[in-house]
Amino acid sequence: MDFCMDESCGKCSPCRAGTVQLDRFLDRVSNGSASERGLVHLEALCQLLKETSLCGLGVSAPNPVLSTLRYFRDEYLAHIREHRCPAGVCRMSEVPVTMLADELLQRISAGRLDGEAF
Amino acid sequence: MSVITLHINDRLVSGRVGQTLLEVARDNGIAIPTLCNLEELEPWGGCRLCMVEVEGLGKLQAACLTRAVEGLAVHTDTARLHSWRRMIVELLLAERNHTCAVCVVNGHCELQDMAARLGVDHVRYDYLHPDLRMDVTQERFGLDHNRCILCTRCVRTCAEIEGACTWAVSGRGITSRVTVDLDRPWGKSTTCTDCGKCVQMCPTGALYRKGATVGEMVREKTHLQQVLERRRAGRNPGRRE
Repeated sequence: MDFCMDESCGKCSPCRAGTVQLDRFLDRVSNGSASERGLVHLEALCQLLKETSLCGLGVSAPNPVLSTLRYFRDEYLAHIREHRCPAGVCRMSEVPVTMLADELLQRISAGRLDGEAF
Repeated sequence: MSVITLHINDRLVSGRVGQTLLEVARDNGIAIPTLCNLEELEPWGGCRLCMVEVEGLGKLQAACLTRAVEGLAVHTDTARLHSWRRMIVELLLAERNHTCAVCVVNGHCELQDMAARLGVDHVRYDYLHPDLRMDVTQERFGLDHNRCILCTRCVRTCAEIEGACTWAVSGRGITSRVTVDLDRPWGKSTTCTDCGKCVQMCPTGALYRKGATVGEMVREKTHLQQVLERRRAGRNPGRRE
């Protein structure tokens, strides 16, 4: 998603703002702060990009998200419900569930301060 | 001038050859939401709010860029389109710092009106809170990047109506910004004629008249209409064909 954010030209609003929001949704999934309702928004956002973007970049940007949601939905749900990364890739799995809230707060405040928004 | 007929929302309407779907709909009193399109400016197709469903085409089409064709069947107000439009406005609101309560155009803002019209009562996305600057070097007007939605109306107005080409868009993606004279402070611009047309065209409070406080920046519609009418009178009606 980083790639799509970088390559977005910024002309059409769904691609310019939507790819950033997709990236943030995925970040939240991988740090364990996503919710199941968020997953619904994520899918809707993917459809929005697919249907309303001006060019092929915005149309194809959500493809990796949509296909992982189709074939690896159980892994998304493991992240959300059990705060566990079955593939062992996300840092979240190193954080004990009891300390997750503190860890998240720290990451969020760190992210806001050093401009991780982009 | 040949006339074409087509169906918009199951209503039979007529238009002229070469008109876009948005123009035909507007002439027939059907409102299609848009933020970047302005009559008499070249269509841009960036805001994606005017997306419509055309029967027989799988993809949604931007009404401001699609030519009306004889016999077309178009739907402009389906539940799907409404939800996409709502999401796009939410994305725009979350993208920069649209703080209506302290905005100079509070109450006269097209983005605010659009959000109200589409029933945006909350934003489902993260506010990005980018750290953006203001440019108050110009004598009469100010530029506030926090409110800009990159509709490029100012860019097109300056190039097409005033002919000064002062405005442009720099950067890309989420870091896009409107800039003056290859990123100079507005006050140092050598091309700006101080005409203020861009300020009149801006849908939000990104460009404003200096001295206006919260809710005081009201656009001079009469001035804007005069400019447009003068331009329309001098224009060859068949130009776009």
